Amino acid sequence: MAENHPRGASVLQPRFPGVPWVRIRGWLGIVAAAAALLATSMALAWAPTDAVQGDVYRIMYVHVPSAWLAYLAFVVVFLASIGWLWSRRPIFDAIAVSSAEIGVLFTGLALVAGSIWAKPTWGVWWTWEPRLITTAVMFVMYVGYLLLRGLSTDFERRATRAAILGAVLVLDVPIVHLSVLWANSLHQLPTVLRAGGSPALDASMLLTLIISVAAFTLIYAYLMAARVAVEVARRERLWIPT
Amino acid sequence: MDTNVAFIVAAYVIVWGVLLAYLWSLRARGA
Repeated sequence: MAENHPRGASVLQPRFPGVPWVRIRGWLGIVAAAAALLATSMALAWAPTDAVQGDVYRIMYVHVPSAWLAYLAFVVVFLASIGWLWSRRPIFDAIAVSSAEIGVLFTGLALVAGSIWAKPTWGVWWTWEPRLITTAVMFVMYVGYLLLRGLSTDFERRATRAAILGAVLVLDVPIVHLSVLWANSLHQLPTVLRAGGSPALDASMLLTLIISVAAFTLIYAYLMAARVAVEVARRERLWIPT
Repeated sequence: MDTNVAFIVAAYVIVWGVLLAYLWSLRARGA
């Protein structure tokens, strides 16, 4: 495979010659930063105070997007893993490891923000209930995925092992999301993505949440573009096929 | 603002701080 990807040939350039990736990434970063500023302003100043929780519910606007982006990141790991197993194109492996790393980051942020929200509302930083346990398990599993990648220096073997694991671990994503329905849970039930009804949320709160999720999605896209570029550059330095 | 303002500030500072730190680490790695 290495002979098909001579050293120095970027993974992106041969397939899309003339596309100014660095400039596109720069604009993506500007749009993501503007969206983040808008979302934070709406979350802290525009969205109304909750009748029951007061202002502390505003943590939702960073907690929920973090959790959803973790889901998205791990679905991307799954798709890229299938892509590698199907085509053996190294870019899929680079996308998988990048998305797994960023997914672990967002899962950690969802856990921390959720813990900070739990203390004033539940009275505890942590409790052993289904949503928290399955999320913590998801965090540990994807940390394991990243550690597994360090066990082999053979590129093809490592990519294939990781892809098999990445394709299987995604099963935890629906388990995390539906865990609040399967067992008695202290955690709130699904509010937006729920079966048989429209979102159970005030319109202005829902709009703020949608803007927040959009901002986090743009940030994910920007971080992915940067992380994949780092991965490609690293492989070119190490003469690993790109 | 209610009495839980410290929790709100902590959550936002940690989330945005960690994301900025990660971005900074990517730039340090050559992104």
